[in-house]
Amino acid sequence: MNQDEKMIEDNNMTLGQPLSDFLLQLEDYTPTIPDAVTSYYLRSSGLEPKDPRLVRLISIAAQKFISDIANDALQHCKMRSTNSSSHSGSKSKQGTKDRRFCLTMEDLTPALAEFGITIKKPHYYV
Amino acid sequence: MEQQPNIYRKMLAAAVSSILLESGCDFTEKECLGTLTEMMQAFVTEVAHLSKTYCELSGRVEPILGDVILSFVEMGFNFNSLENYVKTSKHVVLPPLQLQQPQKQLNMLAAGSKQPLSVHIPQHFPQFPDPHAYVRTPTHKQPIIDYESVREKAAIQKRDIEKALTKFLSKTNSTHNIFDTDESNIFPLIACKPTTPAYLSALLPQDQIFDAEDLDIDPKSQILQQQKNHDKAKNHIKTENKSDDDKRETLNESRTSEDSANNSNYIDNPYLAATKLPGGEIMEIS
Repeated sequence: MNQDEKMIEDNNMTLGQPLSDFLLQLEDYTPTIPDAVTSYYLRSSGLEPKDPRLVRLISIAAQKFISDIANDALQHCKMRSTNSSSHSGSKSKQGTKDRRFCLTMEDLTPALAEFGITIKKPHYYV
Repeated sequence: MEQQPNIYRKMLAAAVSSILLESGCDFTEKECLGTLTEMMQAFVTEVAHLSKTYCELSGRVEPILGDVILSFVEMGFNFNSLENYVKTSKHVVLPPLQLQQPQKQLNMLAAGSKQPLSVHIPQHFPQFPDPHAYVRTPTHKQPIIDYESVREKAAIQKRDIEKALTKFLSKTNSTHNIFDTDESNIFPLIACKPTTPAYLSALLPQDQIFDAEDLDIDPKSQILQQQKNHDKAKNHIKTENKSDDDKRETLNESRTSEDSANNSNYIDNPYLAATKLPGGEIMEIS
């Protein structure tokens, strides 16, 4: 029991340590989401960090979160398209090179399911 | 104020779009973009909420890195690969948010210089409107009192009144037609109503004044004059009769009493005035 706690603490230390180093690097890094936008949403839920790096950390985390999902969805999309292209034959081989991917709900739903998120959109979502 | 969250949401959608472009998606359904934007917003909000909770749990007000890490752990987010993610790929940077310039009101109808606020009005109160909104400049036109123009005006007014009356009568009363046709009455003439007998108006005296009040002579003084004449005539008769001195005294007394009575309840009514004795001839004699 005691050992477990220690392990968790150690784990936290090892987990937290690189992150605090990483935090120092965020000084001159600008995430895709503007700081103002992130801090607005942080403020809307009661968090008001004085350290701008914390805001950036959260921005990057959100960015990565979405990026991972997008990558997964894209993999699904590619898999689906290769499947369909193999069915259609060698004619579309030329097209695969400069094929453009379109993200659809069809791909996004299984990608999100992998993350444990089930999306059920209301029927009249605008 | 309503517009503000929309702008943040728009920015969030833009960020999501650039992330999708980075990862290799060229197009996306609107539904997907909406979902991802919503998820991103939920993620940020949830992290903030959890961080705040952890921060308050440890008795702090200012959130520190540990709180954020704990919230990441709580959400099941793997933050170990964050550094890799930052270093490996080059990320698009959205242009920073710019403060929206409040739209300047067009001062098309500005007139005059605005009055500064008075001392008793706090400076944060709104400015005075343009002076033309409350300053009144009286413009009185001097009336024309030139004789000619006044006469002209009076004449015009008189003519207008007559015209209007004629018109009114021609429309309300019966009219004669100037031409002997049944066509529309272009020149209506006011019908003349002959009275019977026609000579009656000539016989009725209309130029004499019968009202006593209109007389130039004051009725009061007239009555007093009558009284005096009456007394004089009486005296005259008495002397003629050669009456005694005693008798005259009593008569004088009675006369004074009569005078006082007359003065006290004087009534301005010719019918109630003292009767006029036919002493005119006697006066002339005396």
